[in-house]
Amino acid sequence: MNTPIRSTLLVLALVAVAATSAWAAPAAANSGPVVRLFPTNVLEDIRATTQVAEAMENSLQDIIRRMDMQQQLYTESLCEGADGDQGCERIARQIGATYLQMLEVMSDRLPQMEASVASTRDSLERRLREELGLRTTPTSLQDSLVGQSPAIAAESQPALRGRSGVRLSDRFKQYQELVTTGRNGQSQSLAVVASDIYLDMADASLLIAATRQEIARTALMEQLNQSFGVITPEMAKVVGGVKQILFGEVVGDGPIAAPPNAIGESDYVSPLAM
Amino acid sequence: MNALRTLLLLVAAHVLVGCAAESIDACRGQLGGNLDAAMVDAESRLANGCGYEFDRYFGELLSIAEANPDRRNAQHFSEFLLRQTASGTISRRTAEGLYNRYFNIKFVSLQGDYNTCSQTCPVRARVLSTMQTELKDKELGLLRVSNDPASFYRADHLYKEAELVLEATCRACEAGNGR
Repeated sequence: MNTPIRSTLLVLALVAVAATSAWAAPAAANSGPVVRLFPTNVLEDIRATTQVAEAMENSLQDIIRRMDMQQQLYTESLCEGADGDQGCERIARQIGATYLQMLEVMSDRLPQMEASVASTRDSLERRLREELGLRTTPTSLQDSLVGQSPAIAAESQPALRGRSGVRLSDRFKQYQELVTTGRNGQSQSLAVVASDIYLDMADASLLIAATRQEIARTALMEQLNQSFGVITPEMAKVVGGVKQILFGEVVGDGPIAAPPNAIGESDYVSPLAM
Repeated sequence: MNALRTLLLLVAAHVLVGCAAESIDACRGQLGGNLDAAMVDAESRLANGCGYEFDRYFGELLSIAEANPDRRNAQHFSEFLLRQTASGTISRRTAEGLYNRYFNIKFVSLQGDYNTCSQTCPVRARVLSTMQTELKDKELGLLRVSNDPASFYRADHLYKEAELVLEATCRACEAGNGR
């Protein structure tokens, strides 16, 4: 994937990942055997990360909308391939300037985001190690997974790991549902939620570091492009990719397993059963 | 007199060998009929010296049940295994292992009395591979024999959840070890 595209997508994916945590966290506060996965400090870390992510998302969304309109104008004006047209060159420079602005916002916000994500990752890591790693046997771990979610309808499945491309606001709604179902005692296992957030945060930390390294180089390249008024294919793809993530043009994968139905009370229980 | 004794010995030996061969033949034959009849047949053979063929009989019974899927089949197998435990053909542990492997949502492969960091994480890939194999057996037992797709999908879901949780937990364990 091209560098600017990758940078943008990674950061936006990070925004989504971090933001989703906000809804997973309250769900985690609903008691149960693994409630200690989400003590106050973890919830605070997640909340802080969410606020940073939301601020970044809001800043980026406006810029991306503007860039989208500029791109549309460029296309409708039949500027592609129209070398030497002054009007087209002006639009191209405007797009480039907006693109630079986007990189600037990312550059400003990323250090705070990096610190926040790292803090969340570290606190979750400690809880996972202590609660699931050291205070749980494989047998009790399996029992907790089975006991937490006897039946989850497909509609209530939160979009967890690897489900980018869904409109961010929809992701928030899905996590709100997670909170609601959690209160009703039908939540996905908190161990799964904690694992999911932790793995995403760990990935996000790596991605942020990589993204920060790329931004400076990408910005320099675009500054050079500004001198010539060029809209690169990379920029066009970035706009497309950003739209995909923020406005959800692609639906993610389905739930990891087909929705199980509740097992009737009359089902046979063998004396041999675990 | 000696000749008579030798003759008697030869006759006795012939009878013994013949009985043994007959017994082996009785053990070797395939189980037939419906599940109930096949279980009765298997139990009869197991009670008459064919215990070494238990695994094959169990497999054949599963095949017969697969051809006639029914929710009650899990119960039939449970009762069959309990009877074999009572008669001493197999141990209680073996019976539990077989039943849970084929007819329970939970995985026999994910068991242990020590903490997850020390017991499962060092062999996580192997545990997951074994669970994957067990999931296929559950597909046979829960889905094709018992006609219980809901339970099978729950087992499938549990496998994927366990995979995710183990990945996170073991990564956290490793991070702790590195410090």
